[in-house]
Amino acid sequence: MKTLFSLSNLLAVAWFAGSLALLIAIWWVVSLVTEHEIPDPAATWTVFSEMLQDPFYDSGPNDKGIGIQLWGSIKRVGAGFLLGSLVAIPMGLLMGASTVGMRLLNPLVQILRPVSPLAWFPLGLLAFKAAEGATVFIIAITSLWPTLINTAFGVSSIPQDFKNVGKAFGFSRWKYISKILIPYALPHMITGLRLSIGVAWMVIVAGEMLSGGIGIGFFVWDSWNGLSLEKILSAILIIGFVGLLLDKLFNGLQQLVAYDKK
Amino acid sequence: MQPKQFVDMPGAPVLGKNERPVSIEVKDVTIAFPTRGKGVFTAVKNIDLTIGKGEIVSIIGHSGCGKSTLMNAVSGMVKPTSGEVIVNGKRVTGPGPDRGIVFQNYSLLPWLTVYQNVYQAVDAVMPAKTAAEKRELAERNLTMVNLFQHRDKLPSQLSGGMKQRTAIARAFAINPSVLLLDEPFGALDALTKGSMHIELLKLWNLDHREKTIIMVTHDIEEAIFLSDRVVVMNDGPAATIREIVDIPLARPRNKKAIIHLPEYMAVHDRLLSLLTKSFSIEDEGVEYQV
Repeated sequence: MKTLFSLSNLLAVAWFAGSLALLIAIWWVVSLVTEHEIPDPAATWTVFSEMLQDPFYDSGPNDKGIGIQLWGSIKRVGAGFLLGSLVAIPMGLLMGASTVGMRLLNPLVQILRPVSPLAWFPLGLLAFKAAEGATVFIIAITSLWPTLINTAFGVSSIPQDFKNVGKAFGFSRWKYISKILIPYALPHMITGLRLSIGVAWMVIVAGEMLSGGIGIGFFVWDSWNGLSLEKILSAILIIGFVGLLLDKLFNGLQQLVAYDKK
Repeated sequence: MQPKQFVDMPGAPVLGKNERPVSIEVKDVTIAFPTRGKGVFTAVKNIDLTIGKGEIVSIIGHSGCGKSTLMNAVSGMVKPTSGEVIVNGKRVTGPGPDRGIVFQNYSLLPWLTVYQNVYQAVDAVMPAKTAAEKRELAERNLTMVNLFQHRDKLPSQLSGGMKQRTAIARAFAINPSVLLLDEPFGALDALTKGSMHIELLKLWNLDHREKTIIMVTHDIEEAIFLSDRVVVMNDGPAATIREIVDIPLARPRNKKAIIHLPEYMAVHDRLLSLLTKSFSIEDEGVEYQV
């Protein structure tokens, strides 16, 4: 049985701490080499803890706490990711289940997948007449591909053995979907979602730099204009940590649906 | 669990060879598959085979001789290119609940528990039954293969023998009149295999020997111990039936006792020579001796 303070958990924490120490060391060296043009970790920490003193303060449209900025971004990422997944999962199921669907849609996916989020932005503006809608739109359209591709792969790679069970015992279409197709494809789907949320979180900064308003990306740009590199570095750390948390969340989900666990 | 040596229950009526009603007719069946670039591959050709109700028939032959293909034609998983298969008077057009299949590699659904694997099959085949009846059926069949206490485990937590018993319970639970076993014990060790033979006969006996069983195997001893007749296939491609060998051993059979019977030895010899002739390697200048 695994307890919270088991050796493997303590080791994991130790490795994580070691990794952070390495980051701080490199950072410090860079800061020294650039003669503090890049602020050192200590200076950044001072600003960072100030930011955390009152993360939810609100003094007008261009001066809000980091908590409010972060929450704005998370909501936007959530909306875009949800929207993208709502398109990606059914489309992936369709592509995986039918050869026609795969042949028809696959070239489309291959062409649209590598397009940068920034290229979609004007189209979003045109469609939604607002920066907010455009940001959600670019998150949705750039983050849906991993989910789509993994779902399609999961469904199309169901082993013949499992299909034969369905055939031999006369499974109805619904029983086949609920007892064979979904359980087999679900881990692949979650893997796709995990990659997608990563993409969505990466796109948010670029999107918000263009759109302005509230959000961590806007905050980075605003700090650049205010020439506070400490704030930028703090924001980078926050972005990284939130990304890590989102990944862990989906990792947990993956463990939950893995059927071959011992 | 110690397997008993005597399993066939005395007292069950044993029909003579000619008294059995016909269960399966394979009529002039040829099965060919299109292959990529190489035209058509004929697996089996002009197969005729009639199997009586309650008979246990083994199909034996070398790898790739089309024995599984022939059985899949009976199960309905493969359509004959020409000829037809008739089961219980009806032409086979696809898989059906009158034929239970035990697959070579168990084919349990790994995300379902042992119980659910059996229950879902019962539920699919007998939608008219109440949930309680289906539950009872699944549990009874799991009890028969001694897996009731393991019913909540996932297949990954089971040994090979337990997986195969689950697959057998699943096939029996839908109460088919024909049972098709595709190299069912091939992946098991010799001891487990021995007790599985006995389990299988036990289930067959419990059902008053009414189920017709076709089993694909390449184990001669297994074929003799279990079967009434053994169908020996020629090597493919375009494999045909080489010979059908009757097993003149009365049931119940005792595994230890029968091997000393002259009938057993004669049949064993016959099967061995039928199977080894086809691997002659004279052209390499080596004489093959059995």
